[in-house]
Amino acid sequence: MEYRDYYRILGVQRTANAEEVKTAYRRLARKYHPDVSKEPNAEERFKEVQEAYEVLKDPEKRAAYDQLGSEWKSGQQFRPPPDWGSGFEFGGGRTRQRAHAHAGDEAQAYAEEGFSDFFSSLFGGASPFRSATRGGGRDHHARIDIALEQAFHGTTSTLELKRPELKSDGTLEVRTHTVRVTIPSGLTEGQLIRLAGQGEPAADGGRAGDLYLEAHILPHRLYQVDGRDITLTLPVAPWEAALGASVTVPTLGGPVDMQIPAGAQSGQKLRLRGRGLPGKPPGDQYVQLKVVLPPATTAEAKAVYGEMRAKLDFNPRADLTG
Amino acid sequence: MSQVTKIAAGQVLGEGDWIAFTEICRVCRIDARAVHELAALGLVSPRGSAPGEWEFPATALPRLRVVGRLMRDLGINASGAALAVELLEVQHELERRIRRLERLVAAQD
Repeated sequence: MEYRDYYRILGVQRTANAEEVKTAYRRLARKYHPDVSKEPNAEERFKEVQEAYEVLKDPEKRAAYDQLGSEWKSGQQFRPPPDWGSGFEFGGGRTRQRAHAHAGDEAQAYAEEGFSDFFSSLFGGASPFRSATRGGGRDHHARIDIALEQAFHGTTSTLELKRPELKSDGTLEVRTHTVRVTIPSGLTEGQLIRLAGQGEPAADGGRAGDLYLEAHILPHRLYQVDGRDITLTLPVAPWEAALGASVTVPTLGGPVDMQIPAGAQSGQKLRLRGRGLPGKPPGDQYVQLKVVLPPATTAEAKAVYGEMRAKLDFNPRADLTG
Repeated sequence: MSQVTKIAAGQVLGEGDWIAFTEICRVCRIDARAVHELAALGLVSPRGSAPGEWEFPATALPRLRVVGRLMRDLGINASGAALAVELLEVQHELERRIRRLERLVAAQD
């Protein structure tokens, strides 16, 4: 694993006091917080910053980290020393969970609090810095990115969760659990999925924590999503708009036939009731018409346009003249 | 080291679902006092006569989770986080409207 220079990440000197560390963290957290930031890679940067602060704000962890020495450079190959953690009083730690994305058509999931392997080897998982669980197990949180089709039809996702577990001899061991999750249809942006009992197991036989997945819907090539409603831009020929037509329109549930009323205009919205994301009630699909003109590149096409000019008494700018 | 647990079915917490006070605190990682404050500010409307019996609509979960993250990560208090969330929601709504209008303009070009 690679060494991480937490001082450099926060942009403070190794001699910085607690107040300076806090100020540096607050400034960077405000800049990169994924809920408010427009910076590229905000999420990644924010996690780095959070991880650095997690260590440097805690005098015990900071002292232990400082003991590694100042010779290390970010990205250098690193192994924790064999006597790691000895001589320290161990305070609060932090749960750790990693969820790996899997290839294929499955939804992608990420742990919300996935700190680096470097952090985990020093302060998480089986490290002596991790606090023992009392009472029930903790909840785990992860985020899951799903395609719009998956939100419509439902999907499955394979999560790999790393969990510290108490062995019979009383020591902690990090075990990998693979959980296959079925996700029902009709998810909307930001919604939570609760997987009861799939969080951290309780150390003393109590109630296991729950696993919560926060769903995010990936942008789609054709459709725009607003809650459960879907909007599709549909190109139409001028005569389809003018005379009315029956056209086949793609929807998430498959193509449907739709009637364009005569005299339709570009930008006009038609509604396909109940064709949005499933729910009670289901969303609608809006079809926004976009009139596309045939190119006047052939003699024949030019003749047709010429005929329109001659025969139609049409001034599109009639409203502009006073 | 690895073991496959059984397939777990997820329950979507959505419209029509009500979430107990204690679970709200856990899921959003907000302490009970701050949830009280957020309810008093009108950011969420619980049902139930006494705070001990309060339940919250699941549709409030996304915004409460943002509130929880902002409070924890940026060190702001409940009323500051509530204000930030409302402004963020206004911002997102405006961005959606801009995108809609841009599509409308593109359709008329």
